[in-house]
Amino acid sequence: MADMVTLKIDQQIVTVPAGTLIVNAARKAGINIPVFCYHPKMEPVGMCRMCLVEVGYPQRDRVTGELVKNEDGTTKISFAPKLETGCTTPVVEGMEVRTTTEKSNEGRKAILEFILTSHPLDCPICDKGGECALQDLTMLHGPGKSRFIYDDKKLFAKHVPLGEMILLDRERCIQCGLCVRFQHEVVDDPVLHFYQRGRSLEIRTYSEPGFDSIFSGNTTDICPVGALTTVDFHFAARPWEMERDPSICAHCAVGCNLIYNIRREAKSGGKTVIKRAMPRQNEFVNELWLCDKGRLGYHYVAAAERLTQPLLRKDEKLVPVSWEEAYQRVEDKLRAEQVRLVTLAGGRLTNEDLFNFHQLNQSQNGKAVLYSQMAGGDLTAQIGLGKGSNFSDMGKGTAILVVASDLHEEAPLWWLRVKQAAQRGAILIVANARPTRLDKFANHVLRYEYGQEAATINALLDGKGKDEFTQAAKAFSEAENGLVIYGSDGLGLNGSEQLVKACAKLLVERGYYGKPNNGLLAVWDKPNIQGAWDMGFHPDRNLKGTLREADVAMIAAADPAGDNPILAQALEETDFVIVFEMFMTETAKMADVVFPVQAQIEREGTYTSGERRVQRFDIVLPHIEGPKSDYQIAAQLGRLMGLSTEDRSPVLVMNKINEKVKGYQEITYSRLAERAEQWPLISRADSYYAGTGYENEYGVGIQISSSADRGEELSLGTLILVEPQEEVATGIKVVPVTALYDRGQLIQPSQILAKRLTPQVLLMHPVLSKKYQLQDGDQIKVKVAGNEIVSGVKLDADVPQDVALVARSNGFPISSPVFVQIQRLVPEPEA
Amino acid sequence: MNKLYNKYEKEILGILARYPAEGKRSAVMPLLFLAQRETGYVPTEALSNIAEITGISETDVASIMGFYTLFHAEPAGRYRIQICTDLPCALRGSESYLEQICEKLGVKEGETTADGLFTVEAVKCLAACHRAPMFQLQGDGEIKYYEDQNVEITMQIVEEIRHKVAAEQEA
Amino acid sequence: MLKGLFTTLKIALEKPVTTQYPEQRRPVHTRFKGRHTLKRYENGLEKCIGCALCAAACPADAIFVEASENTDEERYSPGERYASTYEINMLRCIFCGFCEDSCPTEAIVLGDQYEMSFGDRHSSIYTKELLLEPVSGDAETTPQKTKPGEFTRSVPVMQDPQD
Repeated sequence: MADMVTLKIDQQIVTVPAGTLIVNAARKAGINIPVFCYHPKMEPVGMCRMCLVEVGYPQRDRVTGELVKNEDGTTKISFAPKLETGCTTPVVEGMEVRTTTEKSNEGRKAILEFILTSHPLDCPICDKGGECALQDLTMLHGPGKSRFIYDDKKLFAKHVPLGEMILLDRERCIQCGLCVRFQHEVVDDPVLHFYQRGRSLEIRTYSEPGFDSIFSGNTTDICPVGALTTVDFHFAARPWEMERDPSICAHCAVGCNLIYNIRREAKSGGKTVIKRAMPRQNEFVNELWLCDKGRLGYHYVAAAERLTQPLLRKDEKLVPVSWEEAYQRVEDKLRAEQVRLVTLAGGRLTNEDLFNFHQLNQSQNGKAVLYSQMAGGDLTAQIGLGKGSNFSDMGKGTAILVVASDLHEEAPLWWLRVKQAAQRGAILIVANARPTRLDKFANHVLRYEYGQEAATINALLDGKGKDEFTQAAKAFSEAENGLVIYGSDGLGLNGSEQLVKACAKLLVERGYYGKPNNGLLAVWDKPNIQGAWDMGFHPDRNLKGTLREADVAMIAAADPAGDNPILAQALEETDFVIVFEMFMTETAKMADVVFPVQAQIEREGTYTSGERRVQRFDIVLPHIEGPKSDYQIAAQLGRLMGLSTEDRSPVLVMNKINEKVKGYQEITYSRLAERAEQWPLISRADSYYAGTGYENEYGVGIQISSSADRGEELSLGTLILVEPQEEVATGIKVVPVTALYDRGQLIQPSQILAKRLTPQVLLMHPVLSKKYQLQDGDQIKVKVAGNEIVSGVKLDADVPQDVALVARSNGFPISSPVFVQIQRLVPEPEA
Repeated sequence: MNKLYNKYEKEILGILARYPAEGKRSAVMPLLFLAQRETGYVPTEALSNIAEITGISETDVASIMGFYTLFHAEPAGRYRIQICTDLPCALRGSESYLEQICEKLGVKEGETTADGLFTVEAVKCLAACHRAPMFQLQGDGEIKYYEDQNVEITMQIVEEIRHKVAAEQEA
Repeated sequence: MLKGLFTTLKIALEKPVTTQYPEQRRPVHTRFKGRHTLKRYENGLEKCIGCALCAAACPADAIFVEASENTDEERYSPGERYASTYEINMLRCIFCGFCEDSCPTEAIVLGDQYEMSFGDRHSSIYTKELLLEPVSGDAETTPQKTKPGEFTRSVPVMQDPQD
């Protein structure tokens, strides 16, 4: 426990840890000191002078060092003759702070008058108008009149785009530097900076593309004025006109909490539409931030081509039928004797969907398969991150090993939080086949060849091998707490299985499990893969064979046929295919029955994040006529088969889950809605303190315990290291990696991100390209799994010399390492 | 490595040697001077070159360049006549002095003469208030002060420079 | 009783206070608040910039505004922003005039017109086309094609007070 300090702020006695800044001490006591340039997540700079307060220190006798007393016996406080900045002054014992005296009010008034000397009066058209710190503070503390002349206001061209996503209005900028500091300090993308000085000062970016950062949207939240706004929300609505609905981001396994602002509007034909996504504070998950994918990648919900009616194959054609008829058809199929059922579920299904699907599947002795290329959900359930873990608590004494993951691309918020843990003193070991953005903050960087992931972890366990390995192994074993984060960089299911077993072994041997801030963390590629594992779905190494042998395949939230032609062939051999989908995917086209389902934002449900935090999301938009939730359809089918599956509400499904599924005993919807005390204390009412992110009124979710936390016996399986196969195949080895802005179904409809999508190229080292006489920008034909794909070539000296990289979900049917043939396409001579 | 580096490799290595290896960013200022020496301004390409050499972002380099008024982002004449127009100078007539100089040279404030030699700029305090009006001449990698000026003396200096340049060209 | 009859007679002989509406109409007061109009500048550009402050001020929630961005190719109002949708539900409107008070560009003005009747609820919603006044003189209607840099400010730049 840190030393506590007691001081007096405006007659209130406050006790806070030593080193706390006056602004924060006051905030804890419910006293608001106005600020512009201060942000609780950044180092103070004291630039704007808005937080000026009167500060008094207990007077000491110069000779004796004793506290000087007043006549009445109280300690004499001597106030500084001038005001001091509350955001840079730490508290000391016996201090007295006055925030509402005439002197400090005058100070604020003067600063506001000064800031407003060149602020334009365009609040009516400013996107920030209504949630603007400058507006609010001017109303609270500002002078009604200005002594400065209007003619002297700086006039600039109105909004200038800083890249495609963010707009800058230089007139509105009050030079607080929050955006610059956020980009430098918090997310380490130093692509914004001041240019010139004094009244000519402006914010500039020189990166290519402009404002090249995946966290750029956050600067619009923390900007205390409308200088930085998103193109997405440009003139879209006024802040007070929109309703707010809490949700969970469905783009990755982090599970960021957010708020969708919605509005009914004539432009969209009277429909309710999402106008923007804003972060919702959850200090256990995303703090106050969102990545740009989460912030801007919601446009898929408005996509027009939704399925609305059940479809049934009649005479080789899919025709719309009634729900009853579709149910009947499925029931007939399932009731047939000795039917071999396979249920293939994707990671965007909710826990409730998955539970009902599993019930249905089990009643027919079917095989529950998870559509994922990562293994280890059973292990994370046993020795995963201990209950009560929080990245914010990690620092000195914690060792974090990140293996086979480019966190910056796979899970941006975890990258941010791991980076911050490392900056607080945690030992960070990054093991990857290629350099990643995390290397810069790592104490130990280990390189291996693709295919050697598990062997690398094993080497760490033995502590043998090259120097850096022994050092890293030593550092990892000497820590108080340890966790291993594993991803899927260049891995297929086989490799992933080996890797996760090796990671588990390392953790168990070192004793890093079963307690907070220890354990295993998987960087899943979908929001609810962990939930799927928990509900009983596992990936299948021989998915092709499983599908081929199945009589009936139920496929929900997965598009195997679209992703991989081999699986499409396998599906053709399946007798009867039932698909649960929003869109007419390749798989749906091959189906015998297609059930239309609701999107995540149209329904309620829960996701279990990678950290095994169960979080609830609410209905954001009214659902379109026709589709139902997956859990409802599964439950209906279950009822037809004589089960007592629940189809009335996800709340009731969760009540069943907590009876039956290990670890979920404590989960109920009402408990998920419980709030937690969080620091910083943010509030929309005083957005000047921490930006326009929303406070969390909807619950922070519950991290479920692992088997180890509960003291249960573990069964981790044995690790049998398979030597990487000798190269039997010819051609180039291509390994898949994850890119944040891929061409997945959910991200492509966001036009605003179109230019930032990962190019459809084979990334290779110049040495490798030379072997094939390829140059940067060449077009090639890639032969993979019997298919031919035209692709570009991009050279990158960071890629290992013997492999080429492709991004997942980016137009290549490659989800695990394969050998491909390539052929250079000679451009046709121009006519 | 890049254009700037290839051009001045020896000098750049010399500059970098003055700073510890992990503090390469400290070399930004001398490198900016180096980039500006020849053309009188820092082209955008040089910014990215310097960023690459020092390992900081191009935006950060540009910010440093923008902060200091003696670095220029835009091309101008070979010599910059920078006349102080702050309060003490103004009291001693620097504003009308500036106007007259512009008139004589046939340009407006901020513009360059037709021969591409001189650019006239109004600047903030140059700390020579007691000898106002004054100007600072920036060019050929040097900075010189000319104090206690009037239009006649200044035009004499301008003519001298013109002669010098003409002689240079002949030679 | 006599007293009562007297009062009746007295009133009966007085001039009637009622008028024969609609043949006869009383002039409205200068500050009467009737049907709204959206004003234009003399050059034909709309004054409304789509800020929706009127909608925020409206106690009856009768106004609905959606904004879009002007371009020099298609300019509706000065500055960046204009109202692409502007609707007033006249059944809801209580003619309080708060919208007029809140307007930063004096775009919305309540006029003299008070005769409004609707056959159904839908026609009580006055759209922007109905509310916008026609262009005066030979000015061009909106959208106009304008020169770049000519109309950059939505709210007129404040000048120093002149003595």
